[in-house]
Amino acid sequence: MAKSLGVPLIVTRELRKVFRSAKRSPGPLGALRGLFAPVYEDRVAVAGVSMEIERGELVGYIGPNGAGKSTTIKMLTGILVPSGGEIAVAGIVPHRKRRENARNIGVVFGQRTQLSWDLPLVDSFELLRAIYGIPADRYRRSLDDFVELLEMGDFLRTPVSQLSLGQRMRGDFAAAMLHEPPILYLDEPTIGLDVVAKEAIRTFVERVNREQGTTVILTTHDLADVERLCRRIVLIDRGRIIFDGPIERIKNEYGRERTLVVRFTEPTSAPAIPGARLEASDGITARFVFDRASQRADRLVREVSERYSVEDIAIEEPELEGIIRHIYTQGYAGEERSA
Amino acid sequence: MTALAPYIEYARKAFAREATYRIELLAEIGSLALRVYLLRALWTALYTHNIAPMGLPLHSMITYATVAMLMSLVLEVDGTRVIREKLREGGIAVDLMKPIVVPFAYFSDGVGQTLVHALAILPSLLISLMLVHIDVPSAATLVVFFFSFALGYGVNFFVNFLLNGVAFWTLETFGLQLIVRWISDLLSGQILPLAFFPGWFGRAVFALPFAAIYSTPLLVFIGIIPPRQWVTALAVQAAWLVVTAAASYLLWRAAARRVVVQGG
Repeated sequence: MAKSLGVPLIVTRELRKVFRSAKRSPGPLGALRGLFAPVYEDRVAVAGVSMEIERGELVGYIGPNGAGKSTTIKMLTGILVPSGGEIAVAGIVPHRKRRENARNIGVVFGQRTQLSWDLPLVDSFELLRAIYGIPADRYRRSLDDFVELLEMGDFLRTPVSQLSLGQRMRGDFAAAMLHEPPILYLDEPTIGLDVVAKEAIRTFVERVNREQGTTVILTTHDLADVERLCRRIVLIDRGRIIFDGPIERIKNEYGRERTLVVRFTEPTSAPAIPGARLEASDGITARFVFDRASQRADRLVREVSERYSVEDIAIEEPELEGIIRHIYTQGYAGEERSA
Repeated sequence: MTALAPYIEYARKAFAREATYRIELLAEIGSLALRVYLLRALWTALYTHNIAPMGLPLHSMITYATVAMLMSLVLEVDGTRVIREKLREGGIAVDLMKPIVVPFAYFSDGVGQTLVHALAILPSLLISLMLVHIDVPSAATLVVFFFSFALGYGVNFFVNFLLNGVAFWTLETFGLQLIVRWISDLLSGQILPLAFFPGWFGRAVFALPFAAIYSTPLLVFIGIIPPRQWVTALAVQAAWLVVTAAASYLLWRAAARRVVVQGG
């Protein structure tokens, strides 16, 4: 069989979006001046994003608030027209063919719902069945699958307004996947959920990605979602991609620091170990930060046990969260855009 | 047929949604009966002081007021309210991510809501008949009345659409809504026949789109618009329907452009 021409499912090249708003001049004549000689203010939301996403990938698209994440997603869904650059989703330019593009995508927003508030959950599914023209037998089968997978049997006929947030989110996921779109955009899908509900959602995403080959773009501030689900992350800041690659790489590049947590048997003031920096201490427990490239953990452990009376020692690996926080505050120092 | 299926489903779901408010619907029928009774008392009192307009007899006036009340069951449903609500919650973006023509979906939603309230017309009519006497016109007049009512429904829908569409620019339209609704009630002939207005103002109100909503069908019903003027009267309504629909289309296009360029 001939190998398919490796055209990525989603391609953007130098994608830009600039929002223009009229600036109001101060003073009593300001409004008048605004009417005849308006002064515009440009805000660059996306400043040239180029990325390629292959069929079946599960990508974490992350960045601080206002970095341009949702603006990018809105352009990918076709509801926002780019100011420049190129964009193609499954071969379609989304904003030119919004409705055609809509058939290829499913969208879940953690902060808003697409379900009809006053009606039983199943009514929203019936409306979607009509919107996408899903054949009756396929609808039946998909719905049965989702009801089982997301355990929705107990509340399928309950009005959405009476559902818990966790139940509602499960409903929203089923609603987004009912027409079996090849692409799924998730925007903060686990926000406000408890650990059990989060896990149910993550398992579901993992499963549709693995079994149906759905390509998933996950936008979130919950890096545990990303760590659990994504192999690749695209990090965006001030409208530009500052990292694009596997999670392991960002961890290796940034996660050089480890933490040695020491619990003493008796109160110890100002403990110190050569080669490590004291980060915090409350007299009984002390946290030392060290560079794992230049310092060996076993030496530090030996050193601390020789000097002090120690009850317990633990070594903490860097969390993705800490690394990302570091990048947000310090900026990314690695090579720009290595892919 | 399949192309229409999503919109039919939108109307059905809107109907189901609106029908969940059963108590409100019953209250609506009750309050309508009360208003019909009060209007009869009001007009009877006014007529004893001889202020009949256009030489309109009291029974015609009461018929006018009662039928206007029954029409209001349908015409006071703001089927495009959904636009304002969705704009506030950001739901327009979600709708635009669906393979649908969004304004058609909203129109269908409005029709579905309206049909629920239309169901209240029959019981309200029966109750009203116990309270007041209504002149029943000829079958031909009734048919023309229903055509005229349908055109009025269309004009009313688009006037509401235009009003709610302002929310694309200002987000908050409640104050404007209140004022325009009040003006519309007065100038459409819902509260009293437009012939009551004196001089040039009385002639001017007939030249506004609001007259196409209540006044024209009602004047057909009570026979002030005689059969030989039916065609003209309905043509004027149809013209307003075209004008308000065209304005709505332009507004939607500008609004959609604003959403896709400015992000709503």
